Amino acid sequence: MATPVLDIDRLRKRFGGVTAVDGVSLRLEAGRIYGLIGPNGSGKTTLFNCITGVERRDEGRVVFGGERVDGLRPWEIAQKGIGRTFQVIRVFPELSALENLLVVTRDRLAAARERADRLLRFVKLDGLRDEYAGNLSYGQQKLLEFVRMLMRDPTLILLDEPAAGVNRTLLNDLLEAVRQLRDRGKTILLVEHDMKVVMGLCETVFVLDHGEKIAEGAPGVIQTDERVIEAYFGR
Amino acid sequence: MSRHVALAAPVAVALALAAYPVVASGYEVRATLQIFMWIVLAGSWNLISGLTGYVSFGHVAFFGAGAYAGAILISKAGWPWLAAALVGGGAAVLLALVIGYPCLRLKGPYFAIAMLGLNEVLRALVSYFEGLTGGGNGLSLPTLDATVPIYYVMGLTAVAVTVLTYLIITSRFGLRLMTIREDEVAAEAMGIDTARHKLYAFLLSAAGPGIAGALTARDQGYIEPISVFPLATTITMIVMVLFGGKGTVWGPVLGAVVLFVAQEVVWARYPYVHPLLFGALIVAVVLLMPRGVLGILQVRYRLPRTI
Repeated sequence: MATPVLDIDRLRKRFGGVTAVDGVSLRLEAGRIYGLIGPNGSGKTTLFNCITGVERRDEGRVVFGGERVDGLRPWEIAQKGIGRTFQVIRVFPELSALENLLVVTRDRLAAARERADRLLRFVKLDGLRDEYAGNLSYGQQKLLEFVRMLMRDPTLILLDEPAAGVNRTLLNDLLEAVRQLRDRGKTILLVEHDMKVVMGLCETVFVLDHGEKIAEGAPGVIQTDERVIEAYFGR
Repeated sequence: MSRHVALAAPVAVALALAAYPVVASGYEVRATLQIFMWIVLAGSWNLISGLTGYVSFGHVAFFGAGAYAGAILISKAGWPWLAAALVGGGAAVLLALVIGYPCLRLKGPYFAIAMLGLNEVLRALVSYFEGLTGGGNGLSLPTLDATVPIYYVMGLTAVAVTVLTYLIITSRFGLRLMTIREDEVAAEAMGIDTARHKLYAFLLSAAGPGIAGALTARDQGYIEPISVFPLATTITMIVMVLFGGKGTVWGPVLGAVVLFVAQEVVWARYPYVHPLLFGALIVAVVLLMPRGVLGILQVRYRLPRTI
């Protein structure tokens, strides 16, 4: 088996008396799209935050590209090649759309500008490049956040609810973009509540409940898993 | 064309100010020197707080540190005041390095309060080490009338702070500082080393007040703890920046000039209502125009960041 892009080993994170992530292990391989689902409060976003260094894990290891990254600061992890978007949009509102992209790379300005222009065209925001990001519509901000994350050309992409609040047309563009990234060898892990999106896009799905991984497998298998149905609908 | 005007206007003003001491009265030179000092202080506060959003409530600490470093070198070691002023700036930067490292980890109001505390601690320390600082009795400097040369050096410092602000705001370094203000979590997730950037901005913001403190000490010939560490000075520089426009190049300059002149006029005519009017102005700025004059123009007319 090839070395995984991301190898999470028995990760645990507590907040006071609550164990938000309880000994979760995941392996992600290159060039695949993974889904992470579970009821509210099952630990999905906390897991994201532990991977990206926003939260310090209490126990366990996170190995990215063969290198331990747990304990590193968020920017160090980002610099190593993990990109993410947020559940609640976090663009830089008083920077222009173009500046939102330019600010995240250390490439030479000309090269950065070229890449930023290409990415803005890719999501059809090139006409709004000088607009403050805060003045863009919700969907446009979501796209901007998505391409901003691509400016560093990450190898692992974490998407926190990419479909939430996005209309059908925009969503299809976004999903198509994710598939293209996968075809270029990127690994994608997404948290999503929209089951249609998860089932249509992901090749492997992990299910969390109360901080524990209760199932893992192809979407079709997951849908019929007893424990998954129980977690979502109760006994 | 407009580019030439944008460059020619400040140069013309600078030349006029350079010639001003020849024709001006002693009071007028002193008043203009004060405006220069406020431009240095407000412009420096803008570098850390206007750009990164980390509100420093104790920025006068750097002014006081520079004042004491400069005054001690001049009075105890016999240094020339210009060299002492530069070392005063260096001392303030050193202080910023020592306290910035732990304090910049604090967020929002905690950082503001920590800075406020720092200022009080410094004032207490200066009062305590009487042998070096003269304690509560203050420190007298040898008599020297150097107001006009100090006018020029303070003016140059004000120009330097403003040019530095322009260079930062037009660079990607400046944009990265702004991402800290906009959304620090997102900035870190995008690979921006926010701790290092905040520290750099903090160091840069300490140099000007340190130099201005040492120059002021020399000009006034006498300093004491309450005269160089007053909270009111921090508040005044904050209000100047908020009034003019935080995060802009000319906002601190505009705020310093307008508020200083307004204060002088009001101060002279109505000494008792002065604090009241100043307080009312603070409330009005915060409530009605949190972006400041230039910030409002910038947003409404889509002006570039470089105003």
